[in-house]
Amino acid sequence: MSTTLALIIISGIATGSVYALIALSIVIVYKSSEAVNFAAGEVVMVGAYIALFFIVSTSVPYWLIFPIVAIGTFAIGAAFERAAIVPIIRRMSARENPLIPIVIATFGLSLMLKGIVRVIPYTEQVRSLPPLVRGAPIRIGDVMILRADLAIVVISVLFILGFWIFFTRTLLGRALQASSQNPLCAQLSGIPVARMRMIVWGIAGLMAGVCGVLVGPKLGLTPDMGGVIMVALAAAVIGGFSNLPGSIVGGFTIGVLQNLIGYWFGSETIAVAPFIMIMVVLVLRPQGLFGGPVHVKKV
Amino acid sequence: MYGTLSKSETLWPVFIVIAGLLLPFFANNYQLYLGCVLIVYVVLALGLDIIMGRAGQFAFSHIAFYGIGAYATAILQQRFGVPFPIGLVIAVLLSAGIAWLVAMASVRLRHIYLGLATVAFASAAQWLAQTWKGVTGGVDGMRLQPSDMIFFTSRTDASNFRILAVILAIMLLLNFLLIRSRLGRAMAAIRDSEHVASVSGIDVRRTKAWAFVISSAYACVGGGMLVVFNSFIDPMNFTFAPAVLLLTMLVVGGMGSVAGVVIGSLTMGILPEILRSTMGDFIVWQEFVYGLILVLSITLMPQGIWGLVRNRTESKRSAT
Repeated sequence: MSTTLALIIISGIATGSVYALIALSIVIVYKSSEAVNFAAGEVVMVGAYIALFFIVSTSVPYWLIFPIVAIGTFAIGAAFERAAIVPIIRRMSARENPLIPIVIATFGLSLMLKGIVRVIPYTEQVRSLPPLVRGAPIRIGDVMILRADLAIVVISVLFILGFWIFFTRTLLGRALQASSQNPLCAQLSGIPVARMRMIVWGIAGLMAGVCGVLVGPKLGLTPDMGGVIMVALAAAVIGGFSNLPGSIVGGFTIGVLQNLIGYWFGSETIAVAPFIMIMVVLVLRPQGLFGGPVHVKKV
Repeated sequence: MYGTLSKSETLWPVFIVIAGLLLPFFANNYQLYLGCVLIVYVVLALGLDIIMGRAGQFAFSHIAFYGIGAYATAILQQRFGVPFPIGLVIAVLLSAGIAWLVAMASVRLRHIYLGLATVAFASAAQWLAQTWKGVTGGVDGMRLQPSDMIFFTSRTDASNFRILAVILAIMLLLNFLLIRSRLGRAMAAIRDSEHVASVSGIDVRRTKAWAFVISSAYACVGGGMLVVFNSFIDPMNFTFAPAVLLLTMLVVGGMGSVAGVVIGSLTMGILPEILRSTMGDFIVWQEFVYGLILVLSITLMPQGIWGLVRNRTESKRSAT
C-alpha cells in the first residue's frame, strides 16, 4: 500500500468519525420521532460558529469551547422540540403519520439557523477554526499522521463511547431508549415520554454542535456548510437508519470511501459520492448494509 | 368529488386564458415578468401537491425534474432548433421516463426512505447540472434565445405571459381531471391509509408510481415555462433553496386543495417583492423570515391559509 493511499485513508477515518457522530444525531431523532432532522447540518454549522465567536472575541481555552457549544446546541434542539414538534404531534390523531409535517418543520429550522448566521458579522469571509492540537505529525514508518486528525478521532470516539454508556448504563439513558422503543409501555411505567423526546432532540443538537467544533478546523466555515448532512445521511442509510452501531460503521465507511473515490475519480466526484451511495443502498438493500431483515411495522 | 367537472372547474381555466390574453394590455413589463414567475410557481406547486398533498408521499425530487425540464427544452431549442411546443413534449416524455425509473426503484420504500432517495436524486441532479459543462454550461449557465412557437417567435414579455397563461390553464384543467379520476381517488385513499387502500383492491405501488410520474411531469412543464420567459438559466435555479420555497408554498396555502396551493404560491411568490419594499435594510433577514414562516405555518395552521378560510366559513354556516 502506497503512503498516499494510507494518508488518504487516515484522513478519511478522521472525517468519518465526525460523520458517524452526525449520523448518530440524526438516527436518535429518527428513533424517537420517526422523522429525519434535516436541520442537523445547520446545527453543525451553528456549533462551529459559536466556537468561532468564543475563540475570536474571548480568550476561553479550547477545551472549554466544547461544553459551551454543547449547551448552546442542546438548547436549540430542545427549544425546537418544544416550539414545533410538540404542537405537531399533539394535533395528530394516533393513526396519522406526523412524518411530513415534522420534516417540513426541520427544513424551516434549517432556514432560520442559516438566516441568523448569515446576518452575524463573522460570515463575510470564510474562516476556519484553529486546529484542535498543534505539533509535528506522528510518524509510523513512512506514514505521517496529523495530530489534529488524531485528536478528531479520539474526541469523536470518546463522545460516542460516552453516549453509549449514557444510553445503556444510566437511568435517564435507559428511559430515553424505552420511550423510543415503545412509547406506550414507557408511559405506563411512569416515564415522562414527552419530556424524553425533548431531551432526545436536545442531545441530537448537542452531538451535531460538537461535530461543528470538530470539523471546523478541516472545513471552511460558511453558512452553507450544513450540506455536510448529506454525507451523514449516507452514513445513516448505510447503517440501516435505525441502527446506532450501524451508523457509526457507516460514518467511517463513507469517510474513507469518499476520500478514495476522490483519489481515484477526481476531486469533483467527492461531492456526488454520498448521493450515489444513498440511492444505491436504498435500491439494493433498504435495510442498510448492516441491518437485519426489514422490520414490518404492525398496524 | 368523482365524476365530471363542476361548473367552476371548467370556468376557471377559461377565465385564466381570457385574463392572460387581456392583462398584457394593462400591465407593465416588470409586472408581466412577475406574473410569469408566479404562473411557473403555481404549476410547480400544483405538481408537488399531487405527490405530497394528494398521495401523501414525501418527495423532494420535484426541483430536479424542474431542472431537467428547463435544460431539456432549452437544449432542444438552442442546439437542435426544435420549436418550443414540440421540445416541451419531448422533455415531458423524457422526464416521465426518468421519473418512472426513479419511481420503480423507490416506491417500495416506505415513508422516509422515499424522501431520502429523492433528496439524494435531487442533489445528484444538481451536481450533474453543475459539472456536465458540455451540455448544461455548468455554473456559467446557458444563454437562451427567444422561444420558437412554430407559428411565431415569442419575443416580448406580453407574448411570453400569454403563452404561460394558456399553459397554466391547461395544467389546471388536467389537475381537476386527475383529482376526479379513478387514479386521483386511489391517491387520496393511499394518503389516508395504505392498508385500507390495498385491501380495497388499490395497487399501492402502481398508484404511488403514477402520482410520482405525473407530479414530475408538472415540474418538467414548469421548467419548460421558465425557458420561455428567461434569457438565462443556471444550476442555481434548481438548488435546495427553491425546493424548500415550493414546500413552503404548499404549507402556507394548504396542501391537498387547488385553491390552497394557488393561494400559497401567489403569497410566497409576491412576498419577496413586499419584503423588498417594506423591510429596507432588514432584507438580510429574508432567509430567517422564510424559515420562521415555514415553522409557524406548519405548527399553527396545518391546513394552511385556505384551511383557515374554510373553517371560518363553515363555522359561520353552522352558527346561522
